[in-house]
Formats: sequence, structure tokens, C-alpha cells
Amino acid sequence: MKKFLSLLVGVLFTLTSFGQDPSEIQYGTVNTVTKVGDTLSVEFKYAKKDEGAATLLQFDFEYNNKLMSFLDISWKTPSGASKARNNWSGYKFNPKANTSESDMDVQYIWWRDEAGNNSYSTSADWSVERITAQTSAAYTDGDQIIVYRFIIKDKFGTNYDSWDNILKVNWANYKKADGTQIQVGRPTSDIDLNGLEGGNAGNVTLNLSSKLLDNNVSDGTDYSYVIKNGAGETKASGDFDASGQAVVSGLENNIQYNISVSISDLPEYLGEVVTVADLALVFAEAIGAGSGPSGGSTTFDYYIQDIIADVVGTDNKVDFQDSYEILAYLQGVTSGNTNYITKAGTVHEYSGIKETYGAYVNNAVTFANTFTPIDSDSNSKIVNVAHGLRGDVNFSHSYEPSVSSGAKTSSAQNVSSQYRVSMAPGTKFNNAETANIDLVSEIKDGQVIFSINSQIAEMVGSQFNIVYDPSILTLDDVIFDTGNTMTNFANIVEEGKVRVGSFDQNFDATVKQGTPYKLIFTPNEAIQNTSGLISFRVKEGVKADGTQIKFIIQ
Amino acid sequence: MKKLLILFSLLFILGCAKDEDFIMVDPNQEVPETLVIKDLVGIKLENTIVSDRVSMNVKLPEAGTYRIKIRHGLNNELISQERLEVKEGDNILKVYVASLEKSAYMIQLTDDYHNVLGNESFVVE
Repeated sequence: MKKFLSLLVGVLFTLTSFGQDPSEIQYGTVNTVTKVGDTLSVEFKYAKKDEGAATLLQFDFEYNNKLMSFLDISWKTPSGASKARNNWSGYKFNPKANTSESDMDVQYIWWRDEAGNNSYSTSADWSVERITAQTSAAYTDGDQIIVYRFIIKDKFGTNYDSWDNILKVNWANYKKADGTQIQVGRPTSDIDLNGLEGGNAGNVTLNLSSKLLDNNVSDGTDYSYVIKNGAGETKASGDFDASGQAVVSGLENNIQYNISVSISDLPEYLGEVVTVADLALVFAEAIGAGSGPSGGSTTFDYYIQDIIADVVGTDNKVDFQDSYEILAYLQGVTSGNTNYITKAGTVHEYSGIKETYGAYVNNAVTFANTFTPIDSDSNSKIVNVAHGLRGDVNFSHSYEPSVSSGAKTSSAQNVSSQYRVSMAPGTKFNNAETANIDLVSEIKDGQVIFSINSQIAEMVGSQFNIVYDPSILTLDDVIFDTGNTMTNFANIVEEGKVRVGSFDQNFDATVKQGTPYKLIFTPNEAIQNTSGLISFRVKEGVKADGTQIKFIIQ
Repeated sequence: MKKLLILFSLLFILGCAKDEDFIMVDPNQEVPETLVIKDLVGIKLENTIVSDRVSMNVKLPEAGTYRIKIRHGLNNELISQERLEVKEGDNILKVYVASLEKSAYMIQLTDDYHNVLGNESFVVE
């Protein structure tokens, strides 16, 4: 019987012991932080639970000083309480092995009696805080002890990819008035902050798209970018590298920026952007569109062409004034109009986010140019930008829109351009035809003759930009044998550069086969041969349906 | 006096003859050492890095019509071409590069039917 009673008492004692809820050091965030730079308040509270009332509250916690910086504290203890705050930066607590890290009094005893020099390790990322608060009257359940305030720091440049586990309590020492140690627990989870915005966005990569790069006309170093915030302040600017890429730093997460791309130094090839192939497209549109591109008979493939081809005025309507302006430009005739043709020394350009460049939204062509880096979305830090030039209607030096809304519907197309209708946006102008042609210089009777020999049929237009050494050669004459109805042009763009070509604006006649063009030069000094004296840049033709013909010279 | 008259007459006749403009090729020109081509056929420039102009030797086994082409050094695109009559053996000529963009090029000798007879690279600085 004695044994039975002893067993019963033992069981009851055990059950009673296991049934006791230990006191707690409760802590958590008081406010919600949403972005880097916000102030985070963390409160520490006493929870009595089933334990006896404490008069001494002492606890030790650590916080990640790379992700938060200490701002201040606010004591919440009763008046008359003794209180102390100690802190050490560059240390981290080593909890007792094989025990629960939430068992606060066990961890306290471990620190006090067992760990010795092993209780804390040096760790530059962590700071230890110790709070001691003692009163004569026992604390009551739920009493706030102290509120800490921290500033949330950017995790850019740290070894952390989130704000998880930024603060945790290491141990707690609660005692009753008689000095009895109180069992203490704590929440099992540490303080985590999720979805914070802002902070240094790190490296944002810009990728530039233009056929000028695709076709190796030049490289990305000709382009520069400017990134501004919503207030219009420039936050980053610079040049692209040869591959058309730039890595930008100094931007912030969750801030919307706008970007513009421009050709920085007026390179020589600007004089080769607008050619007879563009002219053919604009004439076809002017003829076919009648009252304008909003009519049903447009021949354009993209809405953006309405803008690019509108080189006189800004109403986005392409008419004969635009086509004759381009023809006048190719002929070297000054019309008196203010035009927006991209040419040597003058650039008229567009840029925007590649994926939406030239999108047709609410009856308007758009060039969205905003982006917002988001820390959790690495794709938001890759910004693809596209660039185009006004007058470049066939996109030879521009980005051809790939957004589906930017392409005109097949029903709006003229039959002459049906072959492009079935092609996907972004690829309609990728397939220029090729044809052999012979361009050669030779000395005859003391003159240098540069002949363009062609056996190509079906060309309603052709153009050759020819460069010669004006210190050695003087251009005397250009002889045309293109047929009776072609409009021919020979325009000395500048000393040593001549633009020669033909175009039939009715799309009926074609350039005559044979030797349609012959340039006659007189040497200014004794020469035995002409190697290198005459070279050719643009050399292209165009068919009635706007198809570009790229000449191949053997 | 008769001899003097004949001499003056000859000078007068020569003076009235049509100028051959500036095109005069010396058939007995010497080949500088830097332009010597050991093979029977080929093309050679005096320097690889050039500006303004550079001498070249075009050596051929027989006289005829040939072509000298300048191609871009990266994409091989033809950017300049001349057609000329040359004599058998060495032909000391010039390449004029002042109006070419600063870049790398290849100069190519072909017959009139575009069969390649020789290549050499050069750079315009």
C-alpha cells in the first residue's frame, strides 16, 4: 500500500509537472514594415503562464546587424523598476547542444554555468542585446518590458537573400522574489520580414535591340541610355557596350523608372538609313491608303510605320507629301519643308521596352518605356529596350516590332504585300532578296569610269551610295541608262560621297538591264590604277511590292 | 641649219601631240625588295598597316584583263573593285585608302572571271 501511494504521488507529481505551462518571453513586431529604410518596432513582453510571478526579468537576444540597425529603445517597466541595457556588437550566441533553443531557462543555465568561453562566438553580422529589469512588486501577465526600434537595411551587398530570422532571443532568466528560477519558454519562430520593397536594386542589365546591331552595321557603343525616376531626375546614364548591353547600378527596388535610348554621336551610317526601299514603301502607302493609313487600304505591315513614314508633319498620316519629301531627300533637293528624316548629321529616333515597342493601344502607337526593379523578381532586373529611326520604314537600321498588337491585320493589307502578311511580327522584313551585280572602276582614255552593271529585272528602284577620294578624283558626270520613265537622281551628299539611283513612283517601269549607271571621274594627279579610290556603301534595289533587293557583288 | 629646222620641227610635232593625261606606266620599273613576289603569280603590298596610299605589286604570268578587289576584313563583303589591263610579270601599282573607313580589309587579285589568283590582308589606320 505504501508503494502504491508513493507511485500515485509520483505519477501525480509528474503529471502536474508536465502540465505546467512555463512563463514566456514573448516578442514580436509592433508595426508592419514594407520597404527598406522603414522603422521596425519590436516589443518584448512578459507572460506569466502557470509559473509564479517574476520580479526579475532578464533576457538576451541577438539581431542581424547587416539587415537592421539599432535606433532606440523605450522602457515599459513600472516606475521605480531597476533596468539596464547591455549590448555587444559582433557576437552570436551558441545554444546548448541537444536541447531546445526555445527552453530559455536551460539556455540561461548553459550560459551561466556550463558554456564558459563557448557561450558566444565572434560574428560580425550579429549584435547581442541584454535587458535586465527588476521590480519589488511582481510583474503581471502581459506586461510590456521594452520596445526596440530598428531601421531596416538593404540586403544588397550582404550575404543574405531575405530578411528571415533577423532577431531571436537566446535565453531568459526569470526569478521570483525569493530567487526561485522560473521556467521560461519563447515562441518557436524568430522574427521574419517578408515582401520588403526598396533597397539597392543591384545590377540591372539593359539589352538593346536594333537591326543595326543584328546586321553588324555598327555596334552598341554608338548608343547611350538615360534612366530617370518619376520626378524626372536622371538616376543613371551611360553607353552600351559593343554587344548592345549595359549593366546599370544605383537603382532602387520598387521604384518605377523610365528609360530612353539614343544614338550618341551621329555616326556616318545615318546617311544610309533612308533609302529607295523605304521610299517605295511610303509611295505605296500614299497611293494605297488614299485618305490616310486609317483607311482600309493601307499597305503597311505595322502601325509604327505610320509614324516612322510620316516625315512631314506629326499627324501620323502618310501621304504623298511624305513620299515626295523622301524622294527629294534622295535626290538632294531641298523642299523647304521641315522634315523628320534621319540622315547624316540628324537623327530622329524612338525607343522603348522591346516587348511592347510599337504596340497599338487605344488607337495609338505606343513606346512604353517604364520598368520597375523588384528584388524578388530577377527578370525585372533585365530590361530589354528597342530603338528605331524615323524614315527607316523597312527597319533596316531599327527594331522591327514583335508585339502582336503592333502588326496590322491581314484584312487591312494591300495585295502587293500579301507575302509579308503571313509572317510573324518581328520577322516580316527579315527576308530581303539577293541578286548579283557588277560594280567596277577602270581607267579609259585618261578618265576613271565607274560602271554599275545589272542584269536584274523587276526593280522599280535602286540606290547606290558611292564614296570616292576627292583629293584624287573629280566627279565630272553621271550617265543614266535606266529607261525612259524612271526618275533618276545623282546627289553629291558631301565632298567624296555621291548618291545615285532611280525610282518609278508609279511602280510600272523597272530599271533597265545593262549598265544603268556610269560615273565619270577625272584624276587630279597621275594614277596608274584605281584600287581603293572608289568604294560602295548602300547598294540595294526594291521591287514593286516593297521587297528589298540586296546586291551581291562577286 | 637644216638639222636645226628638223630638230625644231620634231619638237613642234611632239608639242602638238595629245597628252596621255596622267596615265603613264613605266614598263621597265624596278621592283623594290619589299614588293618582290617569288611565285609566278600573286599580289603583295609594301606595308600591311597603311594610310593614304600604299604600293603593291601584282605579278602575273601573262598580260591581260584582271580585277583587284577590296573586301571587308570581317564579312568579306566587296567594297571596291577595279578592272585593269596589266602586263606579264611585275606590275607596280598603288592602293588608295584615304577614303576607306579605318578597318581591316583583304585585297584580292582575280582574273576577269573572278577566279582568285592571290589575297593579302591589310589594315587602314
